[in-house]
Amino acid sequence: MAKIRKLSALALISAVALSAAGCASGTGGESSDSGEFTYWAMWKEGEAQQKVVARAIADFEKETGIEVNVQWQGRDNLKKTVPTLNTNKVPDLVDGSFAKTAPVLAETGQAKPLTEAYAIDVDGAKVSSLIPDAYLKDDVLTMEGEDAPWMLPYSLTRDAVWFNKATHPELVENPPRTWDDFLATMEEMKTAGETPIAIDGDVAGYNAYWYTSAMVGLAGPGSLREMAADKTGKAWNEPEALEAAQMIEDLVKGDYFINGYNASKWPAQQQSWADNKAVMLFNGTWIPTETGPYAADGFEYSSFPFPSLGDSARADFVGFAVPARAKNAENAQRFAAFFLNKKYQDALGSDAKIIPIRADAAVSEEMSTVKEALDAADSYYMQNDGISFPGYTEKLLWPALSDLVLGKADAKTFVETMKTGQIDYWKQNS
Amino acid sequence: MTEVAVPPAAVRVALTGRRGGGSTIDRARRRLFVPFVGPAFILYSILFVVPALYAVWISFNKWAGAGPMDFVGFGNYVRLFSDKLFLRSFGNTLLLLFVVGLAIFVIAFALTLVLRDMAGKKIARSVIFFPHLVNAMIFGVLAGFIFNPGGLVNTLLAAFGVTDPPPWLSQDNLFPLIMVMMTWITTGYFTTILMAGVDRIPPYYYEDCALAGANAFQRLRYVILPLTWDVFGTCAVLWTISSVKIFEIIWIFGGSSGAGMPPTQTWTTAVYTYVTAFSGESVPAYGAASASAVLSLALVSVLVLLLRRVMKREAIEF
Repeated sequence: MAKIRKLSALALISAVALSAAGCASGTGGESSDSGEFTYWAMWKEGEAQQKVVARAIADFEKETGIEVNVQWQGRDNLKKTVPTLNTNKVPDLVDGSFAKTAPVLAETGQAKPLTEAYAIDVDGAKVSSLIPDAYLKDDVLTMEGEDAPWMLPYSLTRDAVWFNKATHPELVENPPRTWDDFLATMEEMKTAGETPIAIDGDVAGYNAYWYTSAMVGLAGPGSLREMAADKTGKAWNEPEALEAAQMIEDLVKGDYFINGYNASKWPAQQQSWADNKAVMLFNGTWIPTETGPYAADGFEYSSFPFPSLGDSARADFVGFAVPARAKNAENAQRFAAFFLNKKYQDALGSDAKIIPIRADAAVSEEMSTVKEALDAADSYYMQNDGISFPGYTEKLLWPALSDLVLGKADAKTFVETMKTGQIDYWKQNS
Repeated sequence: MTEVAVPPAAVRVALTGRRGGGSTIDRARRRLFVPFVGPAFILYSILFVVPALYAVWISFNKWAGAGPMDFVGFGNYVRLFSDKLFLRSFGNTLLLLFVVGLAIFVIAFALTLVLRDMAGKKIARSVIFFPHLVNAMIFGVLAGFIFNPGGLVNTLLAAFGVTDPPPWLSQDNLFPLIMVMMTWITTGYFTTILMAGVDRIPPYYYEDCALAGANAFQRLRYVILPLTWDVFGTCAVLWTISSVKIFEIIWIFGGSSGAGMPPTQTWTTAVYTYVTAFSGESVPAYGAASASAVLSLALVSVLVLLLRRVMKREAIEF
């Protein structure tokens, strides 16, 4: 008995010692010499995108001799960055979507303008000329009073209505372009015994896509953001606000959404869609990669833009940012620019199947329709139409929109909720 | 092999001191007070008290986690109490604390009484304890498999001819489901603690009961309850503290396993705090989040004090 106790004590002590050693090695290697920089990546080891970035890092180290201390943190990398912003342990380079990066870095003045990165030559051209002008034109990426953007985008995400072109070739030929077309198409599907739309109703962000797109289609990019900024709530009296809500109500009343969408857990419904149990899925450009592993045999991804969107297209940047207090900012910017090499941009398009930022980069077959729609658009908007007021989307807009999409509130109630909710919101937040 | 326990120096000093009289022991104690309490006190202050005080300071400011802090006094607190969502989250926390707490204690106590004289009670105890060992998040993910429209429960129900099952995972049904799940997970833990208390009662009290002709209820009322009262008190405090912190099961259960956040119907103050500070897609509001966290801390402190007051009894030695 005593022997066993001693042995277990020994085992316990070794475990404690090991974990202490593990912690110690994790904090070592800190230095401010300029031959290196730290990069907290939004990709996790094994992801297709991560493999492209890792290849670029290896080439970059070989070419410049600069050591890249990369940590594959995953999508929480920015949440982990925020607490470091006031310390000396801040990473030199982070990446993420605009919607997640802007609130924590740009709007708090914690991002460095990437003057050097935009001035570097890549493949014989200045980085600033590699990013299509249309994306940068309204200075969306530039903080007030600065002359260079704080973000260097390397890819784009957007949303689209996805479908299987093997089973629905007619949607490739003749995608619905107006709302009435869309409703008529879905009626036909219902008559044919098909479920028109799959949606994971438990993801509030996905529910919000519908209204945002409808609103932008009716009143143009930035209209929802303007409405949200109105402290009196009167903006919700605009007829477009109600009309857009009625469009969503049409979908609920028409019974176009898949059965059980109001009581399922992601990714149940997108799985059903990939299994051909519903025709369309309105979701992001990550859908082919995300649903690929469980898609039915012979599934061929194709998409059309949200009907009635007009000449606008959603374009969410994914790119690099350098925190203001970064010690090796210059090296970090060199790498950010280096990653815009056509080699890696092509790899992002063809291997990782996302949309590279460079107009001349390759895109995969799945993304070709999305890319065409992007190129054809003449104005762009962001997720949630760029709203980033503290807690507005999470606590007010998303819950109200979820009620609308889940059929718990009709269009009028929704507008009323938003109006009173917004008055309260601004009373508390101004 | 036998173990020889070597008393540490302090104990030896104290032991020899006792022989020498009260004043020596007092002196020895005083001398050892600082080296013994000091390290713990310093660590506790640095790792807990200082950050807690700093959180209180942040709660008086408007702060995005970086950049300038604007002092707003009690503004964040006033705001919280006029925020319907916070009040609902607070209500949910209280539901977990009191309703789930009551359910847990009633079931745990009943189980304790049943298990006391059951054959194979050690195995039964392990089985009941098992859910507590599993990470709460696993139950959250599992809920999808079990309750999705095409999941296990509905498939089973369909076999019995139920074609229109309730929407288990709809926003309004989630919180009751979480409460049931919480009860199931936690009951085993408290059953184990309560059983340890009940097992401690010497058998001659029961023999005495038998001789006096006491029935089961009287045995409970006059022997078991009084002798396990302090265990109950400790359990109540433990539950109060842990229930106010319940977070991950709601995050995974109500939300989704990777895309988004739980519906507001299921939020507790812990979730509210997290979303306010790390919402992900809007400017973080650290001040409001800290205020919400400080209120939770205040709630726990007040409740624990009240509980200790209410549960206070003369300790019975046996």
